[in-house]
Amino acid sequence: MAGSAGLAPTLRIAGLGRSFGRVEVLRDIDLEIGPGEFVGLMGPNGAGKSTLIKVLDGVYPPSAGTIRLGAQQVPSLGASPLVGFIHQDLGLIDGLTVADNLRLGQSPLRLVGPVLNRPAERAAAARALAAVGLDLPVTGPVGDLSPGEKALVAIARAFARGARILFVDEATSTLPPPDAKRVVAALRAMANAGSTVVMVTHKLSEILGATGRVVLLLDGRIAADRSTTGLGRAELVRMLASHEKGAAGPAGDPRPGPADPAAGGPGRTLLRLDGAHGGRAGPVDLVVRAGEVVGLTGTPGSGLHDVGYLAHGSLRPSRGTRTLAAGVRTALVPPHRETQGGFPDLDVGVNLTVSALRRFRGAFGLLARRRERAEGQRLVTRLKVRPADVGTEFRLLSGGNKQKVIFGRALLREAGVHVLCEPTRGVDVAARAEIYALVRRLPDEHTGVLVVTSDAEDLLAVCDRLATVSDGTVSDFRPVDDLDETALEAVL
Amino acid sequence: MTLFADDAATEPPSTAPSVPLARPAPSRTLAQSRAFGSSLTFLAFLAIFAGYSVWLGDRFLDPGARLLNLHQNVPVLLIALAAMITLVAGKFDLSVSSTASLTAYLAIGLRTEQGLPFWAVLVACLAVGVAVGLVNGFLVEYLSINAFIATLGSGGVILGISSVYSGGGPLIPSGPRAVPGWFDALGSFASRPPAAVVWAIAAVACAALVRLLGAVVPSRWDRTRSLAARTVAVAAAAALVVVGLDVPSWSGGVSWLTFLLLVVATAMWVLLELTAFGRGLKASGANPEAARLAGIHTRRHVLGAFVLGGVLAALAGVILAATQGSVAPDLAGAFLLPAFAAAFLSTVVFSAGAFTVWGTVIGGVFVVWVGQGLIVGGLPNTWTDIVNGAVLLIAVSLSTVVRIARR
Repeated sequence: MAGSAGLAPTLRIAGLGRSFGRVEVLRDIDLEIGPGEFVGLMGPNGAGKSTLIKVLDGVYPPSAGTIRLGAQQVPSLGASPLVGFIHQDLGLIDGLTVADNLRLGQSPLRLVGPVLNRPAERAAAARALAAVGLDLPVTGPVGDLSPGEKALVAIARAFARGARILFVDEATSTLPPPDAKRVVAALRAMANAGSTVVMVTHKLSEILGATGRVVLLLDGRIAADRSTTGLGRAELVRMLASHEKGAAGPAGDPRPGPADPAAGGPGRTLLRLDGAHGGRAGPVDLVVRAGEVVGLTGTPGSGLHDVGYLAHGSLRPSRGTRTLAAGVRTALVPPHRETQGGFPDLDVGVNLTVSALRRFRGAFGLLARRRERAEGQRLVTRLKVRPADVGTEFRLLSGGNKQKVIFGRALLREAGVHVLCEPTRGVDVAARAEIYALVRRLPDEHTGVLVVTSDAEDLLAVCDRLATVSDGTVSDFRPVDDLDETALEAVL
Repeated sequence: MTLFADDAATEPPSTAPSVPLARPAPSRTLAQSRAFGSSLTFLAFLAIFAGYSVWLGDRFLDPGARLLNLHQNVPVLLIALAAMITLVAGKFDLSVSSTASLTAYLAIGLRTEQGLPFWAVLVACLAVGVAVGLVNGFLVEYLSINAFIATLGSGGVILGISSVYSGGGPLIPSGPRAVPGWFDALGSFASRPPAAVVWAIAAVACAALVRLLGAVVPSRWDRTRSLAARTVAVAAAAALVVVGLDVPSWSGGVSWLTFLLLVVATAMWVLLELTAFGRGLKASGANPEAARLAGIHTRRHVLGAFVLGGVLAALAGVILAATQGSVAPDLAGAFLLPAFAAAFLSTVVFSAGAFTVWGTVIGGVFVVWVGQGLIVGGLPNTWTDIVNGAVLLIAVSLSTVVRIARR
């Protein structure tokens, strides 16, 4: 590894803040991180973790505060060769070999003129991999690697480029547990060798088992910053859970429906999966009844979303059966808003009504566009989408507003079963509360909801009963009200 | 009305951070309005024509000659519409010109060589268009072959079939089994509907324009005031055009073929803008995965687009046979590029990135006129392709630059 010697400079962040319009997403962030530290950055979605990473990376300039690297004040860390960022998508190119991926972003080693010195590049690649404990043929394509190996290649690349400070944004959240363990161990080894590692994670075991220090972000502020020595699991859960009650919208707002005995329990069965297989999921047994909100959680690699697609009907079961009550439609909020949700170049109005065009049939079977626009505009107003104009192109909206529009699309469909995948992914705190309120108003005597999410906060806020998904199978369901802290921890 | 309402941009999602701004709906002035921005290319064309009028005078401002240009380019414009409909669905159909070449042969050959009754000839041509569309759609949607390659290949096969059918030579109708007289007449510039039809179309166009302008008037105006202002503006403009261009003198000069083009384009516009199928097609083109998850049968929609494209191309071939009176090998081959040019021009004429029916027709005609103006001015005929290509490049780059600058 080139320049593997040397300690990381100390990183000092003082008074850092970032606002988007009137929304303050980060404020008064003070952090000092020295060489050899392994810091776990925690916090619920929308707490500002990603924004913090992006501000440090230079994607957004900070609205306030300073960043110092060693003695030097810098506008951001992204430009520094000493700092590496690994995002969830890793930034690897599947079609290229491991060696070529490791070379990306570095000047090529040349033999003569423009001719590359491939043996030297391969040797350098092998050395970089060895540093993270990987032993792979460097001439194979990255696409053939397991998810854990890919993450390790991305880490090896960052260090091979000379990074001494590494920010890892949820690179382990999509990995199966053994792979995640390997990645965390490699990061731990790097920190032991004098590098600095900051890892965003939702996993308590990673925080407690590997990191030396935990920073908890809540609502854009540092709510806790302490050493993990002597920190117990229960205490960590309490830190998180105390917040979750607060952010779950109007606190203590009783869930309507079956949680209330007077409502008489869930109604008729709307959707039933019996031993259904599809994608990475299966066998799945699942029932959604009218009047209830059913929650499913698990890591993204568990086949969680495939259960959602099976329930929605966009994934046909390869085995087993899916039964939908007569006359019941399903609507889906897909997990990946940017790629699966919207039509970026079409306007908000079209994005809203695309699943419910049958409602706007007018004379001669043509679309009654005036009525369609009016209905869209009403929904935009009701969902508080900004800007409140159906003529805005979808791609111009912020993440939270995009999510509201996709939500609105599902609402307009007047479906009996709503399948909501990651309903609050990347949504700010205010929009999150609005979305929770919407979900809780959905179930009635004809409507049931299935929430499929890797964010446990969603489940606690809106669900009546929940189960976890691992390796494509669904655990037993349990009522949310029965969950105590240990069970909560198990879910988290 | 959607020349304006559906302007959408095709550039990739910007990498700029999408920030949760709480901004109010922008209040627009005329110059800032999207409608104005997306008509800049249109206005630039008008400016060029104004320049030609000054330079060439009546040699360019000759309604009869310009309408003849339009008449002669109806087959190209139909092929352009065929290409456009698959572009809306996010696919390429490079086989459109070959399909037209084949049906041009069939339109004359099946009658004069095989002796089929002419209605059967027309049905056969239509069936060829449907079959080509089904094959293309099957290759692209069910075998997941890249549309570019699939239609390049199917286009080659179709062209080959026309060569085999014709023996590689031209086909000139003769003898007792000639094509019907009305078919010959349809291809002639001299066969025209009465002037009243033209006036009726103009009236409809003016009414459409009144509605279109709704996107431009300040939103604080109440309905009556807005409607009155728009009506007055359109009426004034219409009067100016009628008097300035002496419309009554040539209003009888629009050929039946041009009329047919307008009917086809109107039908396509209705399909794209006012039906659930058209909406589904746009959604499938904008983001196929999202469309599928939103409950749209994207495969059926794309297949439908290919079939419609095949039928339009087949129609173009039949009409080409009518205008030419005879068929030569690969008759429509040279039309592929101008057709795609017109379809792509539609993304900048009256639009900010979306393919539109009227943009295709108007863009296609305008390119022809720009070229004709230069030819009238003394440029050799051989320069036509250079002019067409340059106009396309300039129009698209200009509007892209303007769009980026205004962002």
